[in-house]
Parts: sequence; structure tokens; C-alpha cells
Amino acid sequence: MNKPILMGAVAYDPKVVPIWDGIREYMKEAGPGMDYVLFSNYEAQVDALLSGFIDIAWNTNLAYVRTHRRTNGRCRALAMRDTDVDYCSVIVVRTDAGINSVADLRGRTLALGSRDSGHAAILPLYFLKRQDVDPQRGLKLLRFDLDVGKHGDTGASEAAVLNALASGQAEAGAVGDPFWAKALEERAVDGDKVRLLWTTPTYHHCNFTALDSLEEARFGPWVEALLRMDYNNPKHRPLLDMEGLKRWVPAQTEGYRTLFEAVEEQGIE
Amino acid sequence: MTRPLTIKVKAQYDGEDLGASEGLLVAVARLLDPLAEGEALELTSENPSVSGDLRIWCRRAGHRFASSIDENGKSRIVIERGAFLRTLADPPEWGVRMPRRGATVDMRDWLVGRHAAIEEEAARDGSLAPRGASLEEGAPAIEFSIRKRADVWANAISELYEQATSSQWVGARDIPWQELAPLDEVVERAVCQIMTFLAENEYAALYVPARFIGQLHPHFTEAALFLTTVMVDEARHIEVFTKRALANGGGLGVASATTQLSLASLLEPKDFSTASFLLSVLGEGTFLDLLAFLEDHAPERATREICRRARQDEARHVRFGIAHARYAIEADGGAARRFASAVEARAEFLKSVSGVGALIEESLIIYSGGGMNPSSLRTGTRRLAALYQTMHDNRVKRLAAAGFGVDQADHMSRLHTPNFM
Repeated sequence: MNKPILMGAVAYDPKVVPIWDGIREYMKEAGPGMDYVLFSNYEAQVDALLSGFIDIAWNTNLAYVRTHRRTNGRCRALAMRDTDVDYCSVIVVRTDAGINSVADLRGRTLALGSRDSGHAAILPLYFLKRQDVDPQRGLKLLRFDLDVGKHGDTGASEAAVLNALASGQAEAGAVGDPFWAKALEERAVDGDKVRLLWTTPTYHHCNFTALDSLEEARFGPWVEALLRMDYNNPKHRPLLDMEGLKRWVPAQTEGYRTLFEAVEEQGIE
Repeated sequence: MTRPLTIKVKAQYDGEDLGASEGLLVAVARLLDPLAEGEALELTSENPSVSGDLRIWCRRAGHRFASSIDENGKSRIVIERGAFLRTLADPPEWGVRMPRRGATVDMRDWLVGRHAAIEEEAARDGSLAPRGASLEEGAPAIEFSIRKRADVWANAISELYEQATSSQWVGARDIPWQELAPLDEVVERAVCQIMTFLAENEYAALYVPARFIGQLHPHFTEAALFLTTVMVDEARHIEVFTKRALANGGGLGVASATTQLSLASLLEPKDFSTASFLLSVLGEGTFLDLLAFLEDHAPERATREICRRARQDEARHVRFGIAHARYAIEADGGAARRFASAVEARAEFLKSVSGVGALIEESLIIYSGGGMNPSSLRTGTRRLAALYQTMHDNRVKRLAAAGFGVDQADHMSRLHTPNFM
């Protein structure tokens, strides 16, 4: 009998408790026993993974990259949400700013989310630099460093970015594509004032990370049970909706390459 | 990369310059809903942000953004439907149409489509969904203890409901209150005592259905809605009886211990059928004769109108009571025995109660005779005796209509509480 998996998650929202309580209940029948602990920030969670206190960390892309760098790659991604594949950042602009191409962003003010958000700060800057748009070329940055430690999970800094555009504080801004899709769906975007300009190339977002010392016999059945969760099952659907996915998929890691480069380039520890 | 040859476009939409957050997503979602997995919606748009917005939205919604081609300032976008259902429910009905009765749409005609299927026993996992609605999986199960049709149904219940709603009246307006003038004191005292008695009886008639309506499975919606009209009727009766006692210089009278004991016993039965039988067939049935008596001998028009209107409402409640008792007896042979034993048990419980009480009897004699002089009292006394006989005769008829034999009906009628209700 294996001892239960102990998983870590960051408490970025009160709904984190019902999500993982629900998955723990699901696992009672469908998979190996599990329990979870909550951290207030990803740095503490990565430390807990490295010290062996938790077996698996539900990590953002930045937390995964940090784990990878601190272990010299002696870690593995186990699974992710379908929505973590092909994630992208969205550059949105004020319609009255006369910005019609990415090059037009030079000399303008770009609002960014938290400095530790892969999707609302780090990767937008990385991809814009590859379009020859960066602070060296006159791009002005307006940063909203809110909920630092939660890697942009709360969405507070993305909301601040859209507010800055609506109020005219910034002419352009960067948000993650799920945040933009949700804002569109909730009709929270005034299409006369703010519109999508450009989407970055895609990358991967969250994953379940384990150290490579965790035996497959322990994580394998747990991952298999996770992959069996079904959006068409009325018991699973509310959990999946809250966590923002339709199904869990096996982890892919090639989509993290750009964030590894961005972290190096921007000198992020 | 596009694969135009393999995509089955099954729906099309011209979004003109409409933005994604300005309503376009409504059309996209609605048009994708009925498609099968892999079938596609083709959308044209003149709005330059729409293509990027929809690509992002598709990821969230679980659809595949298949292609977007720009030509002459327009985007032609193809979206393939994903596998997931937005709601875990059967599709809604379409093409159902109730027949009309002239300009009206009548509940008697609403047994159409899935709404027409009334089960003998409703599902254990109840909901607050209309019968026939497509209930989404994952809805919470709400428990209702009254789940059998025979425990609540009556033939012609929809007709009774329509009668009830079209016969509603307003206590403040529809009684000729302006004609109310001072009466002889003995008569006003009698009126006030009788109004107090009527009001307390109507509290029982309100609270008995109120105790059951929350337990009634909404599958039997006609019964729930009809009982709601009963409660509204009783509320109005309490209102006007109380107003009459307060409106003409008298005031509320005595609520006697025996009346209260008799009414309390109506709250005892744990099943709706028995409670309805005691209340509506026997109690409210007897009340019909009392109200007719009070109407016939009323000292002025306001009181007469109060009694007339209340009697019309009560007649509907009695019709329901008889029809339900009959339905229950026909569906279940044990029901008649249960009703008969409930009558016996109530009589046993009320054996200390030998009459309606001196206060009420005296008031009825003064009221119906018109005063307290000898000839009035003689008239009133005769009239009250005749009322008792009428009440018994009519109870026997109602019990027979509910399905009891004449001898048993006679026996049950004699056991009925002397308190009338």
C-alpha cells in the first residue's frame, strides 16, 4: 500500500478549497489516496517540493521553470490542463491610440500585470522584444505588481491592465488569453474603446511537477485517474469549470522553452 | 493550416461589424450548440478584431478554430464544434402548441408535449423544474415527501384552478363597506362574535394546506397551484371577517377553548389526503351551509356580501376535497378506511366537545332571528335547528359523492365535530 500523494497548491482564490476537496473526494474512489496543502505563494511551494514535504506541486509555468533550474532538470512535469497547452498572451490597445501594428507600440505606454506573471508580464515582453519592441526602443512600461507570489493567478493585475486602458492611463496592455476570452464572454470589454491587436506565439502554462525521485508507481495511478475525469460527468464538471479546463492531458514540456529563455534574458531569479 | 475540403459547414452567420463582446459570441454559441462534433460554423465579419478574439474564445469554449481567411476587408472564419455539451441536458422542446379557447389559453388544455406526461409517482430526486422541462444533470436533488399522484390529485383540477383565478376578488373594494351603519347592539355583538368564529376557522383552513404545500412534488403542479389559490382565498376570508368585526363599533369576540381544540385537531393528520378529507369534505362542506345561513339572514348588505363571496370560494374548496377523496379512494382501497378511522379518531379526541358552544349558538339565534325580543328568539331558534338538519343532510350527500355508502356516510356525518369545521 503506497502512502497517499501529498499535493501542494497555491491559495490564489477561495475556490481553491472546493476544487481540491472535490478532487480528493474523486480520488478516494478513482485513484490512489491523496491529500493537499495550500501555500500562500509559489516560492514557498517550490521550496516544499524541493525539501520533500510535498510529492507534487500544482505549478505555474514560472514555478515549473524555477523548479527545473534549482534541480538542474531533476524534475518532471506529470500532467496539465487542456487549456495549459497553446496558451498565449494578448496585446490589447485603445482603439483611439492609432496603433495598427506591433511596431506602432514603440514610444507608447504598455500596461503589464504582475512582474512574476508569465502570461501578463514576462512572456509578453519576451515576445515583443522579438518584434523589435522593447524599452530600449522607446516602449514605456506601466507595471501593476499585484498579488506578487501568486504569479498572476488571481487575475487582479490583468483587471488593472484593462482598467488602465479604459481610463487612458495606458495605450496598450498585455493579458493572458483566458482572461481576455472571459472578459469578452462576460461582455466586459467595450469594443469601441479597447480591442485585440496581436497575440503572441503559444506556450505552456501550468503543470503538476514532481521531483524525478518520485516513483512512477506512486504518481502513475494518480495521473491516470486525473486523466479519466470527464467534463460530461455532472459531478466532475463543477470542479473542472472552477479550475478552468475541460480535460486533463499528459504533460508536454517543449512549450516551456520560451519562458526558460525569457527568465534568463530578463534576469529573473 | 486550413482543411476546407474535409470541413462540413452546417451553419452560417454574417456578423457584419459586430464585436465579440458586443453580442457576436451569443450568435456563435447558439449556432454551434445544435451541431454535431466536427461540424462547422462559417462566419463572416467586417470587424478586424473578431478573428483574433474568436481564436482565443474557441480555446476557452472547447471548439476548434479551423481557419480565418481575409478577403476584401472581410474575414471568413470557420469554427468546428468541439465535443463538449454546454449543458448536460436533453435539447429543449420545439413545436409544442396549446390549443386556444377563443382569446384565452386555459390550463385545461396544457397537457401537451413533455408537459403532458404525468407520472403516478414522481422521481425521488425532486427539483423545482416545470414538469417536462429538460433538467440538467448535476442539479441538486430536492426531496418532497408527497410524490404519489393519488395522494394529491383530483379530476378536473385544472378547471378548478382556472375558476379560482378568474373568481378572485378584493376585500377592500368588493364589499359594500360604505353601507355599513350602526346596528342594534345585541345584533352587532352577535355579528362580531360570529365573525371572530369564522376567522378562527379560516386560520385552520389556511394553515392545513400550508403545512403540505412545501412537501408536494412540483411534478403535480396543478395541485400545488390550486392549493395556492385556496390559501389566497383563506387569507382574504380572514381579512374580511376580521375587518367586519372591527368596522362597525363592536370588535373581536371570544375564541373559545372548544373551538380551538376542534381546529387544533385538524392540524393532526400527517398525510395530505386525510387532512384534506377532514378539512374540505367535512369541515368546509359544513361551512357552506353555515355561510348560506348567514347570507340569508344577514342584518345588512356588507355582511351578506362577505358571506356570499366566501361561500363561493369555499364551494370550490369543497369540490376539490370531494374530487380528491374520490380519486384517492379509487386509486387505493385503503383510503376509504383511513378516512373513516380519522373521523372516528377525531370524534374520540373531541368527545369533551358537546356543541358549538353557547356563545356561538346564542349569537346564531340572535343573528338569524334579528334580535333578542321573544318573537325574534323563537324564529332564530327554529332557524338554527333547521340549519343543523341541513348540515347533516348535505354532509351525507357529500360523503356519498366522495364514494361512501349511505349508511356509513350517515354514521360519519353524526361523528363530525359539532364545531362545524
